Amino acid sequence: MNVLTQYALSYVAITFFIYISIKQGQDNTGNDMHGVQENFNSKAESHSKESNLFAKVFTTFSLVFIIITFSSITSEWNRMTSELVDEADDPHYGLPDLWDGKQVVCFHFPSDNVPSGLEDGRHHFDFDGIDFKTDKEWNGTGGCVGGFENYDNGLNLLNAAVEATGSTFSLNITEFSFGLQIDTIGGVSPCVAFTCAEDFSSGAYWEVLHNGGYSMVGISDIELDDNSVITWRIASY
Amino acid sequence: MIDAHAINLGPNGMLLVNVALLSMIGWALLKTEKNLTSQSDVIILALIGIFAISGRILLDPIPNIQPVTFIVLLTGIHFGATRSIILATSIALISNLFLGHGLWTIYQALGWSLVGILGSIISSKIYSNNTLSINPLMPIAVLCGFVFDWVVSLSVLHAIGPDMFLLYILSGIPFDILHAAGNMFFIAWLAIPLSEIMTRHISISQPSVVDNFAKVRV
Repeated sequence: MNVLTQYALSYVAITFFIYISIKQGQDNTGNDMHGVQENFNSKAESHSKESNLFAKVFTTFSLVFIIITFSSITSEWNRMTSELVDEADDPHYGLPDLWDGKQVVCFHFPSDNVPSGLEDGRHHFDFDGIDFKTDKEWNGTGGCVGGFENYDNGLNLLNAAVEATGSTFSLNITEFSFGLQIDTIGGVSPCVAFTCAEDFSSGAYWEVLHNGGYSMVGISDIELDDNSVITWRIASY
Repeated sequence: MIDAHAINLGPNGMLLVNVALLSMIGWALLKTEKNLTSQSDVIILALIGIFAISGRILLDPIPNIQPVTFIVLLTGIHFGATRSIILATSIALISNLFLGHGLWTIYQALGWSLVGILGSIISSKIYSNNTLSINPLMPIAVLCGFVFDWVVSLSVLHAIGPDMFLLYILSGIPFDILHAAGNMFFIAWLAIPLSEIMTRHISISQPSVVDNFAKVRV
């Protein structure tokens, strides 16, 4: 269930509870004071007081509720209303404009070897792991995890993106003396998608791009900008 | 240096200090008003204006919650469109001298003026038999929150195209809701006492016959 729906339901339920509590309280007071001989005037006065008290309690509760939940309401609302960047020369091309000026990691999979749930296009996960937008028009399948800030190093950003999404993009890494090799992402090995010869005459690997261009260094040596986009895809040789 | 300047209160602490200051201003204005012998509505409008400006500046840490909208609405109801426009424009200008003055000030003045005009239009329905009806005022206060924000949002048309405007309005809806909730809160708690204060100082224009008679006597 959407966070906004949860908030709306809680809000309605608490408001109803407040209304019932005030109404019962007023009824009890009215009965204590006047008993059976309650007349029309006292009823009207009681109704007016009840209405006033309800207005005060209800508006105070509403204000406090909205202030407390405001941060998550705006995050959720921004996710719902975000548009995809349509400027082709922008490193954030095709990504939600919500992530402008923020760091993103994308994982692109071959359409016949894609982790479960990501088959219908490119999914967009916010920094807290919530899958909030799917671009079904995107020429490929996979997902992007974004909204990160203040990461200087590519490996730290990659780890943050993987951690945020649980097991969806889980990594298998081999450490060599010259650096790290990504064996699988989300359980997908490059050699499942392409033929890998035992004599290494042909093969495939997880390739890393930085802002759409080939990276001349490995992921652990990439220095990031404020709005870096790291993209992983399978390449063959 | 060891004194109060060295104490960092943080945003919540500062907000508490601001609310305390606003309460002090409100209390002092209430006391002043009770001792005010003049029937001139200009003086009471000035006092209310001080409260509105202080409220807007001091509540600045909470986004979009300030007492100006509901005060201008009540001014429109009790004193009519012209005075509410004077109050709205003065509040927008003076408070923005502290908060930041620019092109948006004119849109804020316009937005609050519209709220005041709306108040003057619905005056007879909301205020009758010396009683302010709170319940119908609530949805109007909510509406005013949205109307004011959308009028102020028009200022972005100087920077973005009309095609982006709807998206801009859409993305600001949580802030509009906050404004509306703040208006409802102020209406529920302060509308009746403020309405009573305003009512006590509505200028009664002197009948012309009496005026002429007085002149003849002199």
